[in-house]
Amino acid sequence: MSTETTDANAEGSSYLSWQTWDRIKHTEWFILLATVVFVSVFPWVFTSAPFVPSELLGYNSLVRRILIWGIFALGFNLLLGQTGMLSFGHAMFFGGAAYATSLFANHVVADPFLAVVVGVLFAVLVAAVTAFPLLRLHTVYFSIVTLAIAQMLFYLAREPLGDLTGGINGLGVDRNALFGVVDLNEPLTGIAGVLWMDYMYLFIAAFFVAVVAFITRVRKSPYGLILKAIRENGTRASFVGLNVWRYKYAAFVLSGFVAGIAGGLMPMETMFTGVNRLHWTTSGDVVMMTVLGGLGTIVGPILGVSVFVYFEGVVNGLDQIGGYWLLTLALAFTAVVWKYPDGIWGMVTNASERLRSQRGDR
Amino acid sequence: MSLLESAVQFVFIALSVASVYLLVALGLSIVFGSLQFINMAHGALYLIGAYVGLLVGYEIEFGGLLASYGLSPLGIELGFLAALVVTPVVVFGLGVVMERLLADPLYDRSLLDQLLVTFGILLIFQEGFNLVFGRTGFNYPRPGWASGPVLIPGVGAVSRWRAYVVFLTLVFLGIIIAFYKYTDYGLAVRAGTEDTEMTELLGIRIGRPFLLIFAIGASYAGLAGILGGSLFGVNAGMGFANIIPALVIVIMGGVGSIKGTTVGALLAGFVFATVTQLWPSMATASIYALAIVILTVRPSGIYPTGEIGQ
Repeated sequence: MSTETTDANAEGSSYLSWQTWDRIKHTEWFILLATVVFVSVFPWVFTSAPFVPSELLGYNSLVRRILIWGIFALGFNLLLGQTGMLSFGHAMFFGGAAYATSLFANHVVADPFLAVVVGVLFAVLVAAVTAFPLLRLHTVYFSIVTLAIAQMLFYLAREPLGDLTGGINGLGVDRNALFGVVDLNEPLTGIAGVLWMDYMYLFIAAFFVAVVAFITRVRKSPYGLILKAIRENGTRASFVGLNVWRYKYAAFVLSGFVAGIAGGLMPMETMFTGVNRLHWTTSGDVVMMTVLGGLGTIVGPILGVSVFVYFEGVVNGLDQIGGYWLLTLALAFTAVVWKYPDGIWGMVTNASERLRSQRGDR
Repeated sequence: MSLLESAVQFVFIALSVASVYLLVALGLSIVFGSLQFINMAHGALYLIGAYVGLLVGYEIEFGGLLASYGLSPLGIELGFLAALVVTPVVVFGLGVVMERLLADPLYDRSLLDQLLVTFGILLIFQEGFNLVFGRTGFNYPRPGWASGPVLIPGVGAVSRWRAYVVFLTLVFLGIIIAFYKYTDYGLAVRAGTEDTEMTELLGIRIGRPFLLIFAIGASYAGLAGILGGSLFGVNAGMGFANIIPALVIVIMGGVGSIKGTTVGALLAGFVFATVTQLWPSMATASIYALAIVILTVRPSGIYPTGEIGQ
C-alpha cells in the first residue's frame, strides 16, 4: 500500500483520512474500546431495536449465549486461525470446564466466579495433558485424534461416570450470589436495565471484554507473531531456531484456557450441564461458527457465532422455514470453506476495500 | 452355555463389529493413502447405502417431507437380497459422481480444507436426510434366511446374520486385495500411490484407476450401510456415528495400508467386544482409548506408509 500522503493532506483534515483510520483500527486500545461499545449496545440492538419485526426480537438469553459462544470461538480461533492447528475436539475443554464448574458449584461453593475459575483450571489441565500425545501428530491426524479424545470423554461422562455427571439426564447447577453480594438474576434498573437487562449479562460481558483484551495482546505480541510464523511454515520456523513444539504447546493450552472460560460460564448461565457439551456436535459447531465468520480475526468468530446462534435460536422457531436452519448453515459453511476461506468478515472487508479503491481513496 | 460356545459367540460379535467398520474404513484408507484426500463425506455414502437398501428392499413408512407430500410409504419391495445386490451398484455410481464433483476439485487443496469441506458435505446429507425421511429411526426387517441362530455341530449356536456379515466382509476384502495385486488398474493405483507424477510421466493415465478405486470404496461403504443398519438400526445420524470411529481406525492402522486398516478394525472390534463383556458402559469409549494409546506409542499408526500430512 502506498504511503504517499500528499493527496490526503490536500483534502484537508488528516484526522479523518483513511490512513488515520487504517492506523487506529488495528491498535489495541481501539479494539478494546470497540469491544466495550459492542457489549454495551449489543443486547439492546439485538432484543429491542426498532425496525425489526417483533417476532424476531425479545430473546434475552440469546444475547448472553452469543457472548459465551463468542469466547469459545475466540479460543478456538487462537488455535486454528493463529497457529493453523485444526482441533475437532474442542468440546473437551468446553464440556470439561462445564462439568468441573457445575460439580464445584454443587458440592463445594456455588460462587459463580470461583466456580468458573475452577472450570478454567480443569480445562487448562486437560489441555496440558492431552497436548503430549496430540502434538506428535500432524494436520488431520491431530484433528481426528482430538476428536477421538473428546468422544472418549463424552462416552465416559455419559455412562461410566454417570453417577457424577448425571449421565444423559444432565446435571442441575446451583448458583449463589456473586461473592455473596450481587444476585446475578437481579434485573438492572433505569437506563442500564434497558441496555443490559440483568447482572448476569454484566458478569459475562466482563469476561468477554477481558478475553478480547487478552487475545489482542497475544496477537500483537512477538509471541503471537511466532505462532503465525508456525502456521505459515512450521519447518521454516524451526530452522530459524524456534522451539516449535513449545510454541504449539503454549497455543494449545491458551486455546484450552479461553475455551474453558466459555465452558465455565455456560452452566452459570443455563444452570444446567448436559452431556451434549462434550459431544462432537459442540466441537463441530464451534468449527462452523469460526470458519463461517472468518478465521484469524477478532470480529470474524463473533460474527459467525452471532449468525449461528441466531439461526439456532430464532430462525429455528419460525414455521415453514424453521426446520431448515441447520441445513442452511451447513450449506453456507461448505460454500465458505470451499470458495471463500476468508468467511463473512472477509467478504465485508474485501467489499469495503473494493469500494474504497473504486473511489480512488487509499 | 458352554465356554466354547460363548467364546465363539464373542468372536462373532467382535468380527461383525469389525466388519462394519472395516468396509467403511477400507475406502477411506485407500482414498486417503493414494489420492491424499481425506473424505469425511465417505460417511454420507454409508448413510445413503442404508437408506437406498431400505427403499429397494422394503416399503417403509417414512416421516419428514415424504410424509407431508403424501409419498409415504415409499419403496419398491424387492426384498432383502435385492437390497444387498442393488445398493452397492447404486452407491458405486454415486461414488463416481462424488469423485468428479467433490473430490476432483479438492485434490490440490490442503488436507485441512478437504476435512472441513467434506465435514460440511456430510452434515448437509445428515440434515437433508433428517428433513426428507424424518428424524425417527428405522429397522431392517430381515427375512428368515438371514435371522435366527445357526447351529455349528459340537460348538453351539451363533447368530446367523452375524456369520453372513463376517463372510460377506471376507469376500469383499478378498476382492479388493485381488484387485490391488493382480489387475493392471491395481498396479497403476499402487504406482500412483508411490509417486503420482512419475507414473504420469510414464504415460499411465492415473485418473481412471483412481476414479475406479474411489467408486469401489464408495460401494463398500454403501454395502456397510446395509450391514451396519441391520445390526445397529438406521437413522440420519449413522453417517457421523460410523465415520468418526472409521477415521480413527484408519489412522490407527496406518493410512493407505489395507493390512493396517484390517488390523485396526479387528483390534477395534475385539476391544469393543471384550469391554462389552467386562464393563458394558465403557464399550464405545474403549475404541477411542485404544486409538489414543496406539497413536501415543506409534504416531504414524501400526503400519506406517509414507509421510502423509507431514
